[in-house]
Amino acid sequence: MFNKDTWQEIWHSMRNNKLRTFLTGFSVAWGIFILVLLLASVNGMQNGFEKQFNDDATNSIFIYPNATSKPYGGFEAGRRIRFKNDDLDFIKGSYASSIEYFSPRFNRSMTFKFKQETGAYGVVGVSPDHQQIERSIILNGRYLNIQDVRNKQKVMVIGRQVQKELFKDEDPVGQNLIANGLVFKVIGVFGDDGNEREESNIYAPYTTMQQIFGNSDQVNTIAMTYNPEFDFTRAMGFGDTLEEVLKRRLTIHPEDQSAFFVNNFAEGFSNVQSFSSFLKYVAIGVGVLILIAGIVGIGNILIFIIKERTKEIGVRKALGARPIEIIKLILLESIVITTLSGFGGMLFSMGIVAAISPLVDAPAFSNPNVDNTVVITCTVVLIFAGVLAGLIPSIRAANVKPIEALRAD
Amino acid sequence: MIEIKDLHKSYKMGSNSLHVLKGINFTAEEGELVAIMGSSGSGKSTLLNILGMLDEADSGEYNLDGVPIKNLSETKAAKYRNKFLGFVFQSFNLINYKSAMENVALPLYYQKVGRKEREEKAIKYLEQVGLKEWAHHLPNELSGGQKQRVAIARAMAAEPKVLLADEPTGALDSKTSYEVMDLIQNINDQGNTILVVTHEEDIAHMCKRIIHLRDGVIVEDKKIKQVRASSYVQ
Repeated sequence: MFNKDTWQEIWHSMRNNKLRTFLTGFSVAWGIFILVLLLASVNGMQNGFEKQFNDDATNSIFIYPNATSKPYGGFEAGRRIRFKNDDLDFIKGSYASSIEYFSPRFNRSMTFKFKQETGAYGVVGVSPDHQQIERSIILNGRYLNIQDVRNKQKVMVIGRQVQKELFKDEDPVGQNLIANGLVFKVIGVFGDDGNEREESNIYAPYTTMQQIFGNSDQVNTIAMTYNPEFDFTRAMGFGDTLEEVLKRRLTIHPEDQSAFFVNNFAEGFSNVQSFSSFLKYVAIGVGVLILIAGIVGIGNILIFIIKERTKEIGVRKALGARPIEIIKLILLESIVITTLSGFGGMLFSMGIVAAISPLVDAPAFSNPNVDNTVVITCTVVLIFAGVLAGLIPSIRAANVKPIEALRAD
Repeated sequence: MIEIKDLHKSYKMGSNSLHVLKGINFTAEEGELVAIMGSSGSGKSTLLNILGMLDEADSGEYNLDGVPIKNLSETKAAKYRNKFLGFVFQSFNLINYKSAMENVALPLYYQKVGRKEREEKAIKYLEQVGLKEWAHHLPNELSGGQKQRVAIARAMAAEPKVLLADEPTGALDSKTSYEVMDLIQNINDQGNTILVVTHEEDIAHMCKRIIHLRDGVIVEDKKIKQVRASSYVQ
């Protein structure tokens, strides 16, 4: 089927019908080009959205203690709730498989001094997992590690803003910093893409902070991220379980809504995700419409080609061409043109997207890119369906009586 | 070689039906050179088209070299056309983007003859019609007479049993017409059966037998003394 003669036939008829070849090729390439740009734009918008919500991990759960509002189990209403280290161990131990990262937060404000510069900053005592929960990016040095926590090291990771204000142009890593009269060593500098205020914070091991502030075993907040494989329902269910279990453990009325608050990001993020997936469906819808337009276009051109070649088809049939050979002649030519131009258009548009993608970084539109497999699939579908659209007219042309074909002009 | 009995053909023209062939009976032996004459509308081209399996009769029998031609699928018809028949048309019907040689080789392509053998044969037949030097020219670089000679070479390339020519000289001046008829006579001399549709008396008299068609029936069928075209060609 694919011998040299067949290719020569195709090459001949393409070369001798340059306009027709160009028009077919252009319409296919154009369809793919538009499709790629559309997909890239939607991707860019999605990336933009996700960046807006990039402050904290999207699967975070924060638990903030407050005070009870109902008397329960012998306690009066208005009791202040405090989480303690053994509560942390309990949650971590009981739900290890549901938890991805886990860290307490112990917040205090401290006054700092480095050489002539002074300032007051919020210090958060955390465990190493907090880096992933807050999505802190280490710019210099390192984050806290498990040894720091276990040995209650006086080490700190400072935000980029703190570095600017206290250290000016000096490299802070390895420097000693005076905080509330105590000497801490700076081990790293972090930044935060989602939240610049975050960069005025300082992180220290929570054990160190508990020791400094009255040898306490309390923490202010419990922060964690749930298992990222959880869907919305399971994530919400996990949050509810935590609430229930903590109420029982801390002797709180099951209906008490103010003893502590569970802030489950699954709730808010599901809205963003549903908008994101809505966008995706819109893109798929428009993409399908473009594909249909492309298919109709290819079908149209094929019908035109067949009309134009009717007489030639008649001559070939008079010389003994079987219908299958006529179909082959027309379809193979269109397959070659659509394939070459389809992939040409695809490479061209992907090249453009790849070239402009790094340049675009607006708040709601960032890093527009395309999934190669999607684009290749679309191209293949377009070629395949376009050829299918041309199959019917070419079968009809192949079976027309030669005398009718010969009469055509 | 050709045997037809009571052949009928009518065309639908809107609500009317035009009865073109009204019972044709006709036989042609191998090696005959038959002119089919008649005024326009007499049905001579329709008859030739049916003989060439380009069109189908409504009723009647048609045997070609002992093979009944009836209710053929397009694939079967294509096979028979390729094997049995060579066509020469008034308007040449060369494929304009193929060279003379490629045009001549086309029927052999559909016979699945290999490229090399195809080209050798094509050159051989072009040589017979005196156009070997023009083998690589496109049709639009050839004169009308040359085009018709290429078409004849193409018709002969498949070595058909019957050569069918529909007004082969209709688009040519008389000098070129005689050259083409000389060629047709030479091919006939080699023993090939040829049917020529024409409305020109002088062309018809270069055949060996004339059939007159009028209003869809044969009104006259006579053997004649052939006028050699070579006497007009120097």
